[in-house]
Amino acid sequence: MSDLKENLKAQIIEQLNLEDLTPADIQDDAPLFGDQGLGLDSIDALEFIVLLDSNYGIKIADPSEGKEIFQSVNTLADYISKNQ
Amino acid sequence: MYFIQHIESITHQDSFQKKNIWDELKPLTADTGLISPDYKNYIPVAALRRLSTILRMGITVSKACQEKVSHEFDSISVGTALGCLTDTEKFLVTINTVSGDILSPTAFIQSTHNTISGQISLDLKNHAYNMTHTQNALSFEVALKDGLLCIDEGKSSVLVGAADEAIPFLERLRGSLIETSHPFTSGATFMVLSGKKGESISHIQACEVFFSEGNTENRIEKFLSSNNCSLQELDLVLEAGSDFKSKTSAHYSFPDYSGYYQSASAFAVHMANDWFIENSDSEAILIINNMESNKLGLTLIRRNEVEA
Repeated sequence: MSDLKENLKAQIIEQLNLEDLTPADIQDDAPLFGDQGLGLDSIDALEFIVLLDSNYGIKIADPSEGKEIFQSVNTLADYISKNQ
Repeated sequence: MYFIQHIESITHQDSFQKKNIWDELKPLTADTGLISPDYKNYIPVAALRRLSTILRMGITVSKACQEKVSHEFDSISVGTALGCLTDTEKFLVTINTVSGDILSPTAFIQSTHNTISGQISLDLKNHAYNMTHTQNALSFEVALKDGLLCIDEGKSSVLVGAADEAIPFLERLRGSLIETSHPFTSGATFMVLSGKKGESISHIQACEVFFSEGNTENRIEKFLSSNNCSLQELDLVLEAGSDFKSKTSAHYSFPDYSGYYQSASAFAVHMANDWFIENSDSEAILIINNMESNKLGLTLIRRNEVEA
């Protein structure tokens, strides 16, 4: 699980062009969206859907699920491990 | 008359926020690179991470223009020949290489030519008329004519500019689709034009475009004559090529200084405007955009008359 989280952080940085961040800057339970976390927005949510599809073969049929899945690296990793 | 209230460029020259770009202007060499300001001073970091070079340049020079004149623009007219090449290439490569069914939205959204003026409007929070013109090497001139028409319609302050960006792939087109001996470069020049003189030093007297083959010299003579001028009266000619070097007293081939991008004639306007700063005896400058053999753009720029 910890390897998955580290890989996810690197992929998030690359996919979202977060060039000023390193994986160590992203806390496992920190919110990804909103002012409290990384400050990601709706276009980033679409990028997450692409990331899950292209890197893990997971398709999110209902985009409204994204709000729960994309809360943090923890929730993302949990969703991937259950659906891969 | 169309007065140049302010003009800004980001190019491979040290041209951004300079009092007179001629102070640092020198012919470019093959290993030239874009001289970028710190974009974080103009664009929020959260937005910056998604923006390609052409968008960063366009937004930054537009914001610098707005900061200088301290008012909202009544229209925004942008010229770009090849548009957002970086994102276009990224999107097309993704289509060919990604195995998943879904494509990254960012490159797609930002690959259209109109993204530049759209992003400028969003960043300036400007809801006025906003238009992108793409006409190959005459993209800037067409955008300029649009801006001049806006002033004719009564708009008091218009933003006109042009931007293009180079990507390594362009080198593969050299000698086939693109004929040039100059290095491929990126550049953005934006200017604030107004019907009021203000503190401007020069004005655009006229701009004309030709989209067909024809006798360039005859066209120039007719253009100048209809604007009460002649080749002999010109103090400087800024030309994409060098056909008129022997016919004028002072001549610069502007791609020697801008490098090759198809909207570089906008940078020639910056060169012309700043030429008047040091050359107090100069009155008229002609920009000849003969970058493409079957097209011609002519822009006549004059020093403002000193009021008694």
